[in-house]
Amino acid sequence: MRRLRDKERELRDTRELAQDENEDFRKLAETEIASCEEEIAELKQQIVLLLIPSEETDESDLVMEVTAGVGGQEAMLFTSEIFDMYQRYAAYKKWKFEVLEYFPSELGGLRHAVASIAGVEAYKYMKFEGGVHRVQRVPKTEKQGRIHTSTMTVAILPQPTEMRLQISPKDLRIETKRASGAGGQHVNTTDSAVRIVHIPTGIVAECQQERSQIRNKEKAMQMLCAKLYNAKLEEETKKRNYARKIQIGTKGRSEKIRTYNFPQDRITDHRISRSVHHVESFMLGEEMLDEMIQTLREYADYESLMEIISENEKNNSS
Amino acid sequence: MRYLTHPLLRKLLSLPPQCVPGRGTPMKGAVLCPKQLFLKQCCSAGPGLVTATDMVNYWQKVFEKNGIPEAQESSQYIVSFVLGAKTFQSLDSKSLHTPLTALQQEQIQQLSHKRLQRMPVQYVLGEWDFQELTLKMRPPVFIPRPETEDLVSLVVEEEFQKCENSTLCFPAPVPHPVILEIGCGSGAIALSLLCKLPQSRVIAMDKEEAAVNLTRENAYRLQLQERIHIIHQDVSHSSAKQLLLWGPIDVIVSNPPYVFHEDMASLDEEILCYEDLDALDGGDDGMRVIKTILALAPSLLKVSGSVFLEVDPRHPNMVEHWLQAHPELLLTLCAIHKDFCGKPRFLHIQKQSS
Repeated sequence: MRRLRDKERELRDTRELAQDENEDFRKLAETEIASCEEEIAELKQQIVLLLIPSEETDESDLVMEVTAGVGGQEAMLFTSEIFDMYQRYAAYKKWKFEVLEYFPSELGGLRHAVASIAGVEAYKYMKFEGGVHRVQRVPKTEKQGRIHTSTMTVAILPQPTEMRLQISPKDLRIETKRASGAGGQHVNTTDSAVRIVHIPTGIVAECQQERSQIRNKEKAMQMLCAKLYNAKLEEETKKRNYARKIQIGTKGRSEKIRTYNFPQDRITDHRISRSVHHVESFMLGEEMLDEMIQTLREYADYESLMEIISENEKNNSS
Repeated sequence: MRYLTHPLLRKLLSLPPQCVPGRGTPMKGAVLCPKQLFLKQCCSAGPGLVTATDMVNYWQKVFEKNGIPEAQESSQYIVSFVLGAKTFQSLDSKSLHTPLTALQQEQIQQLSHKRLQRMPVQYVLGEWDFQELTLKMRPPVFIPRPETEDLVSLVVEEEFQKCENSTLCFPAPVPHPVILEIGCGSGAIALSLLCKLPQSRVIAMDKEEAAVNLTRENAYRLQLQERIHIIHQDVSHSSAKQLLLWGPIDVIVSNPPYVFHEDMASLDEEILCYEDLDALDGGDDGMRVIKTILALAPSLLKVSGSVFLEVDPRHPNMVEHWLQAHPELLLTLCAIHKDFCGKPRFLHIQKQSS
């Protein structure tokens, strides 16, 4: 703020100089004024950004769940494509992408899958991808060339740090196939699937991605923590403002956020009414997707600011 | 090393007639011509084309018909292995629906025939995972059980806790213990401890040459050979001197044979026919090797050094009483930890100062 005041004073002084009779002085002053104005604009923008409150979850890693929606096999194929898109996006952003659960369908589609994504600002970017994604195209299975609309849902759950979420081991029931009998050296089973139940809430997570039981347990715990944390956050944010176009969390879970229209080769984000072209390029999960998310971020920041301003005005007028 | 080969001995123990590993003839009722079966059925990818899912379903049925336990898991692991994946659930959609090559089908068939002989899946594949490691497996060297993964975690936690307790400084010093493992088998415990405690060193011993060789092979594959010293030695015939090459020991860890002798006969065929029974049989009360280790421990351990053992759930009380009956050992049972099924499984014993 102080820098802003100093710059504004400098600008006033320089403007006075611009009135001077000497042409050289005038030219010098003009360039000075231009650079001053630039710096002032930058400083103002920085101050604005600092005003936007960051969420508790912004620095988190996250767990992403994809689920096929309406449309049978076609919906499941689309789900598989979206999952692949985000896997490529994570690689593009140099994040770590680990599959925790994966349930494919019979014809090459994906019913449901869960992945953990970790890296710098991962949640900050991915939080805008939660919601219902819609595809409009002629499905592979369609014999008459008709265009179908199918859906899939993406859920983004922030991953809590140990500090933010405390779970008592007493509240957990860990289920494995070795439960009965002597166990240990007496038995050689290879089924290492693990299921963890959080007894107070009934929330469950399971994993059978690995051959090592302890690794399956670790992955199941990751999913469970994300689900529990998400449930906790939902409770807390229930009271918050609903007016925004960009909804994060379960409020946004059932919102149609984006349509991928293949015949018209167009992707439309419905929250900001923005359309871009080249579906195939977009689904590579690189620059185009990143740009779309950046635009959403800017819009979300703008909405945050407007909220602050209107609250401020309310307080002033009361 | 016993395979329980003597037919009379097997009769006395009421064991089933011995399955002979390596023989070509398959079990009664096994279907021999998968190709014919497939041509008759309509495969999901089109006639004559076989997918991973088709293979799993087919071999699962074959295993079930032949009374092979874990029929579905066995076929899933075999097919995934041939496709280069660890588990069936980790295969992506594309791999599941791509037709398999003739070579892949052949490989699956070869591996499945071994499974039909009741060979444990880990030996069929020649590898298995333990903690974060993939280790080579070879009969008759004992296959690590999932419970033992928690034994490793316990030792690691204890080492970090000791370092935190020892100082008011922040950050706490890094643990760098000298560890002795008795009965290293495939090297599972020794090598995962070396990975999780990068400053540690391990002396690993086993009375079976096959185990010593396999541990060495796994150590080299994981590039850990510099920090492990592997000895072919029977703990019952060991003196403290041979094991103190790196000085007094911080931790002794072991998954000793702890099965009660009378329980041996009821073990699955997979175990009785293929695994080294000496790695399992702990004598009448299952305590023979446990007692040997505890008797040797005081001459090896530093003061406040620890022994971590995996045991049968009936052992904690028995060990406590035995230690009380041998006060000269100066060993105290300081904790009993449960396994993931809630059974008392792991003992933490500490050496007291005189």
